[in-house]
Amino acid sequence: MNVLDTLTSRRLWLGVLSVAVCFAAYIWVTNRPDNNPALLPPISDIVKSFFVNIESGSLHTALGASLFRIFMGFFIGTTMALIVGCLVGWYKTIEFLVDPLIEALRPIPPLAYIPIIIIWFGIEEFSRVLIISIACFMVCVVNVIAGMKNVPQVYVDAASTMGASRFQVFRTVAVPAATPFIITGYRIALGAAWTTLVASELLAAQNGLGFLLQEGRRYFLTDQVMMVIVIIGACAFLMDRAFRRIQAYLMQWSEARE
Amino acid sequence: MPEIKTNNLTHTFGKGGENALTVLEDIDLTFESGSFNSIIGTSGCGKSTLLKMMAGLFDPSDGAMTLDGTVIHGTDRRRGMVFQQDAVFPWMTVAKNISYGPRLRGASKAQQAEIEAKWTEMVGLKGFEDRWPRELSGGMRKRVDIGRVYANDPDVLLMDEPFGALDAQTKERMQSDLLQTWNQTKKTVIFVTHDIEEAIFLSDKIVVLSSRPGRVHHIEEVSLPRPRTDDMRLTEEFLEIKRRLWAMLDH
Repeated sequence: MNVLDTLTSRRLWLGVLSVAVCFAAYIWVTNRPDNNPALLPPISDIVKSFFVNIESGSLHTALGASLFRIFMGFFIGTTMALIVGCLVGWYKTIEFLVDPLIEALRPIPPLAYIPIIIIWFGIEEFSRVLIISIACFMVCVVNVIAGMKNVPQVYVDAASTMGASRFQVFRTVAVPAATPFIITGYRIALGAAWTTLVASELLAAQNGLGFLLQEGRRYFLTDQVMMVIVIIGACAFLMDRAFRRIQAYLMQWSEARE
Repeated sequence: MPEIKTNNLTHTFGKGGENALTVLEDIDLTFESGSFNSIIGTSGCGKSTLLKMMAGLFDPSDGAMTLDGTVIHGTDRRRGMVFQQDAVFPWMTVAKNISYGPRLRGASKAQQAEIEAKWTEMVGLKGFEDRWPRELSGGMRKRVDIGRVYANDPDVLLMDEPFGALDAQTKERMQSDLLQTWNQTKKTVIFVTHDIEEAIFLSDKIVVLSSRPGRVHHIEEVSLPRPRTDDMRLTEEFLEIKRRLWAMLDH
């Protein structure tokens, strides 16, 4: 077994260990006689809530609605970020034109747009997707711009002296050289999509995971609240894992690949 | 085969400003077609600046350069450049790096494959076609750089201390291999270096630049026979040139 293998297996075992310890601690606390199950429901109740919600179909509906919003918002937001970021990061005129705008809007939390979006578009599917898109766009575009600005000059010079036009340099050098930054932007955007999703559903939705959370609070179903939290965590985790796979594939050329 | 000329070339950074710095002054040079030329000088003499201007990466503040009578302005494929830094595109395999230039101009898959096969062989990278640059040593990556520029079929090759970062043994090997490639293609080469021995071993003509501002201090015609071999490095003739140039640079 070489060094890398030991490291990988150590990471795996320690990861499993930390999760298991938390799990055990939760079971221990909920089994104490002075625990109030209405505040901290035992695991059996959480599991039961999971099956109840599956049987009624409400978990299925909620998950479907939420995943749809995530994918739509993520896709629209990151695609816009890729286009705008590449242009802003590469063409000075566009940068001078658009960059102040991005810098001005960047500190505003995307959730701050919720009231105005509801006023304009109502509590519609479009509104929620729009909020998630804005969140994804804002965190992603900054990375794309940074990536385009960090393209090593020597690659640009090398391509130019081989006869590449300005646009060819952009397409064949700048964009691929910026992919590490771009992918990081996409990954951060995925996290932002989840954060914004739940917030937007808490405020304005009749379905979705955020709605299930809200319903749990309203009817004091702590086990349902806990169950949804676990589901969200699991989904976000799985998506991030899948994303890492894609990242590893796209970055196989890079020294810094994971 | 075209020749490259500089006419009273002067370059001042920040011209007209308070901190104006003249790095090159009245450079008048002719590099004959098919010849191997070196430019040497201490660091800061503007030799890299001169080369970059020949590539068209920026314009001189005064004077002009011509390639075959045409004024050089901006980059184009006629003047290829090998850089001091590693310029191999890390996101392309060795073969894709080699055929980058022809691909820009819409070469067909078959043409690309032909060029890739020819030039990986020429620069000694046969068998490494599908490797990522990160898997190669510094010397091998330099071979990719050189092969890529040659595969692009320029008229003139500009080389900016390409072997500066390599160890002594690899460097000598690369020099011999470069001469072999040059001999087979007979393209004009202008090679910037601060290594006197390297310049003598490779060149027909060596331009010695003085420092601050860079002026043409001396032009040495090297009449050592070709093909050059490693044992020539120790001949009296070689060493005499080396002593003479060394004295010029050491002031």
